[in-house]
Amino acid sequence: MSSSAEPVVALPDSDLPGPFPVGSYAAQLKARLKQFANVQLIGEVWGFRTGRARVYFELRDGRGALPCSMWSGDFERLGVTLSDGVRVVVGGGCDYYPGSSTSSPAFSFAVTELRVAGEGDLLAQLERLRRRLAAEGLFEPQKQLRRPLLPKTIGVVTGERGKARDDVLAGLERRGWGGRLVWGFAPVQDRRAAPQIAAALRELAALAEVEVVIVARGGGSLADLFAFCDEALCRTVALLRVPVIASVGHHTDRTLIDDVAAASCSTPTHAAEVAVGIDCRAARVELTSEARRLHAHGHRAILVRARTLSHLARAPSAHLERQRRHLHQLLRELRASARRKAADGRAQGSTHLLVLRRTVARGTTSDKERRRSELTRLAFALAAHDPERTLTRGYALVEDPGGEPLTSAADARRAGDLRLRFRDGRLPARVSGEVETP
Amino acid sequence: MSTELTYESAVARIEEIIRRLDSGEAGLRETLDLVKEGRSLVEYCATELEAVSSGLEELRLEELVARLETTGTST
Repeated sequence: MSSSAEPVVALPDSDLPGPFPVGSYAAQLKARLKQFANVQLIGEVWGFRTGRARVYFELRDGRGALPCSMWSGDFERLGVTLSDGVRVVVGGGCDYYPGSSTSSPAFSFAVTELRVAGEGDLLAQLERLRRRLAAEGLFEPQKQLRRPLLPKTIGVVTGERGKARDDVLAGLERRGWGGRLVWGFAPVQDRRAAPQIAAALRELAALAEVEVVIVARGGGSLADLFAFCDEALCRTVALLRVPVIASVGHHTDRTLIDDVAAASCSTPTHAAEVAVGIDCRAARVELTSEARRLHAHGHRAILVRARTLSHLARAPSAHLERQRRHLHQLLRELRASARRKAADGRAQGSTHLLVLRRTVARGTTSDKERRRSELTRLAFALAAHDPERTLTRGYALVEDPGGEPLTSAADARRAGDLRLRFRDGRLPARVSGEVETP
Repeated sequence: MSTELTYESAVARIEEIIRRLDSGEAGLRETLDLVKEGRSLVEYCATELEAVSSGLEELRLEELVARLETTGTST
């Protein structure tokens, strides 16, 4: 370097030795730090990340912190998973990378051994607080608030220079939303930010026109996000009149404000889309379509019914005309039918007359014969009862002297004098004895 | 019972009205009443959409508070 050719000029009025080349000093610092004894440390892991050859994290407790690194191979052999707040015991010693003209120096505690000591105190505290707030029912009030689908004014609490601000704007742009946005800027980095975040929230909620508030912050370690786990802040959010949509950290982080808020989103962009529940551009198109459909229904309702009425108005005369034509047709058919029937009737009448004549003639002849036959039958019957026929068959008839027939033995005894009538003549007779019964 | 009209309740009612009209079961009087109500709701929704269509207006909280205080003082 050109400066090496120039004479070295020390700081005027300084008693300090030097100046020494920084590289020499850095090398000596490294050597000196190496002389520090290797020790065991206990603390909580924060900001764990993996590099190309080493893993890095901070070891923290309530009084201080130390950057740590470990060879990836050594770490993987442990088979453990580290996340923010995990309490560990590490073994190792100080290490210093002196850097160069093209690379930055770095100090770290070089970890050679590591053991998980249990759940971190901070996470345990957080979990206890979460359970207590839940038991008090503070996770519910925000969930009960009505979230407007289309707010006209939205409040946003976020860091003034953070990327979350741009993400919120991008989400609103994606929704086609162009209403009023009220920024409540507040520090969002550490635990001390909580009161200012709560104050911004309260002030936004106090404005009647603010319908929903977004609290947004980008990703970070849980320690960075710890402001959003503050108990006072969470209680403030739970009791606000407006719904709060939280988007703090990434989807893997879960702060207490996520539990208390009306809705929790993984990114500020998503939070903006949740705050405006509809795509405004699509809603405009849909509304136009619905307006057209309503207009068409109204128009059709009138038009169709007007046509029906017009048709009904014409219907009676048309109906009469149809009936008249129908009647004419029936009349024509009736006349034609009558003519056909008359012709057929005459032909049939002649035939019937002929048949009747023949029948009458045939009936007269047969009646005479029938009467003659009946007379013959009666003559035979009368003849059968004629007393003369009995005499001809050899029987005699007993009569009194007056000629009256006697039909019993007692009558004959009383008469005394009898006359017996035979086929060929009569003879007188007298009763000489008494009646003998058979 | 009167409920506050909101964009979402208006949209839901418009959809209900259109379903009823599409069914063809509404008589003339009901159809005309529904169309009238629907048009009124469409106008309301259009106004609401219009309010968020004029371009994003960004304000800092303190600016809005100051503006409101000024308005309150002047009135």
